[in-house]
Amino acid sequence: MKVLYIEDDARAAADMRALGWEQGDTIEVESDGLAGLRRAGMEAFDVIIMDRMLGDADGLSLVARLRDSGVSTPVLMLSALGRTGDRAEGLEAGADDYLAKPFEALELFARIRALHRRASGREHSAVILYGAFECHVKARTAFRSNQHLSLSPREFELFRYFMENAGEVVTREMLLRDVWNMSFDPQTNVVDVNIGRLRRKLEHGFDGPALETVWGTGYRLLDGTPI
Amino acid sequence: MGHRLSPARRDADLTVRHSIFARITLLSAALSAVLLCGLWWVTDRTINETIAASLREGVDVDLAGLVDIHASGGREELSRRIADRLALVPSDGARAHYLLADATGARVAGDLAEWPGLDPAVSESGPVRIGRQTEAHARATLLPGNLRLLVAHEAPERAPILSRVALVFGLGGAVFVACIALFAQAAGGRVRQRVAGVNAAFRSGDDQALSALAATDSADEIDDIARQAARALQRDRQLMAAYRETSEQVAHEIRTPLSHLDARLAKALADDPAPATAAHLVAARGEIRQLVGTLEALLDIAASKAKQGQRQGMALVDLSAMTARICELYEDSAEDAGYALSWDIAPDVSLMGDEAQLGRILTNLLDNAFKYNRPGGAIRVVLAPGSRLSVADNGPGIAASERERVFERFWRGPSAQAGDQAGAGLGLALARAIAERHGLTLRVMPSEPGAHFMLAPEEG
Repeated sequence: MKVLYIEDDARAAADMRALGWEQGDTIEVESDGLAGLRRAGMEAFDVIIMDRMLGDADGLSLVARLRDSGVSTPVLMLSALGRTGDRAEGLEAGADDYLAKPFEALELFARIRALHRRASGREHSAVILYGAFECHVKARTAFRSNQHLSLSPREFELFRYFMENAGEVVTREMLLRDVWNMSFDPQTNVVDVNIGRLRRKLEHGFDGPALETVWGTGYRLLDGTPI
Repeated sequence: MGHRLSPARRDADLTVRHSIFARITLLSAALSAVLLCGLWWVTDRTINETIAASLREGVDVDLAGLVDIHASGGREELSRRIADRLALVPSDGARAHYLLADATGARVAGDLAEWPGLDPAVSESGPVRIGRQTEAHARATLLPGNLRLLVAHEAPERAPILSRVALVFGLGGAVFVACIALFAQAAGGRVRQRVAGVNAAFRSGDDQALSALAATDSADEIDDIARQAARALQRDRQLMAAYRETSEQVAHEIRTPLSHLDARLAKALADDPAPATAAHLVAARGEIRQLVGTLEALLDIAASKAKQGQRQGMALVDLSAMTARICELYEDSAEDAGYALSWDIAPDVSLMGDEAQLGRILTNLLDNAFKYNRPGGAIRVVLAPGSRLSVADNGPGIAASERERVFERFWRGPSAQAGDQAGAGLGLALARAIAERHGLTLRVMPSEPGAHFMLAPEEG
């Protein structure tokens, strides 16, 4: 992926470049808000990561100007302001996602991949297929290796979210936000437990794992084909 | 739940029913009407009394004259003069009547047939009746020679003058009251317009309008109050802006170095350190997250308190759906932890609010119930119509003396102090701050056993 990162903190920019290189992505850095805006208008990027507090400009107004000038590249806003109200402001200004510092590299890359996936218009059809898994969205039924999986309604929602992001890392924060509509992580380990249940249903009686725990805070749906 | 009037609705009502100026107009009209009635009554009394006094005086003068005549001219002269006077008809129609009688009461002269009940020995005076209807004032006296003399004057007709006075007061008074009301209305209308202008400036909250108000330099009371209020509001806004700026800076200045620190720890972890070192690094990263969480919760509490009563950013939240979703999210965790979580949710309960924040109240209460319940305990969530949400457990509960303290920042239960429970002790403080921001109260209800939290609309 080709990513534009508008950030005035040189250290954060250098860290991000290194992380991008590790992940196989190209990160272009602009340290100046207006220069970043110009570049976003001239070059094609898959995703723009924008710091909210820049030396010369406010990230919120930059996003708004970007949208006004007709640039629809997905924007992930990165900020030291991480409260619910701050997020809402960022999304209202036109950002597509919002991540608070400090963040897990895994979280950031999972989010920008999800943004890119959504923006490149891979609309999901009524049936999603991935490896041995089948998800019939309308009929609300799930199969692994042609065998019906009996999932409760909320397990189905969770499964569908994994299918929509098949093969990619899905983080706990993304699950809370997209499946449960929550913008914070409760103290009780609700996500892990819910994933644990789903994992048992997806794996019980089958050969091979279905869900992989990615070190830290994420999960990834595997293709579920027998080893 | 739409129980409260929207601000705009309340303002419209104010114009007629609660306007000070309408009340002042009504009150001044009523007061001047009452004053006029009083004045009328006093005038009426004075006229009556003046007439009665002059009547008494006339009788006394007449009687004294006749006594003099008797003294100088004797009985025959007196009789003749009485006959003269009776022949005279006064222009106002108030006739005089006389009776001269001997010791037995037989008439000697005059037009009255019989002696009325007045005692001549003490020169008694008083009202008498002439014929059937006519009222008169009379005085009797004894004359030398065993004669008695009675003089009675008919009261003059009072009705015409009194009705004239009534007419003057009635018509004049109506005009007067109307003038007062018109004046009050006009004066009040001007003041009302100005007050409405000031109110509109406050309501719009427009910075420019506020500065214009704060800068007015004319000197009357309305300008003064408007100026003071505008300044107070400006100060309030400056404080809000300063608060916002400071909290953003604090967040930024703490989070940025923490995120650099976190990045370094992540790099160190990526270098495949020895397992013991890796465990420390992971723990250190966890602590960074906890520190950030505490900072956020504190700022969230402050923001909720600052925003109390503001409706900005609120929308209709389906509490029933939200509660059901969160209960289901916690269901498996409850089963894993060995708690019996149950819920009873009334359908279609909704509330104006911020869904993410309202959800936080419930999750914080559930987190709390998970933390402090007894092993194998039950947790029950009930949502009742009227936005009444309760979360109860049957654990050790909360001592009566602690029921307010649990909402203090950094309060932690006895079991948490033993060190086995995570969290900075901000969950309930945050839940209460969010509740208050939404015009709700969050309290610990007295219950036995267990802790019972109740979220309900503020009373009144």
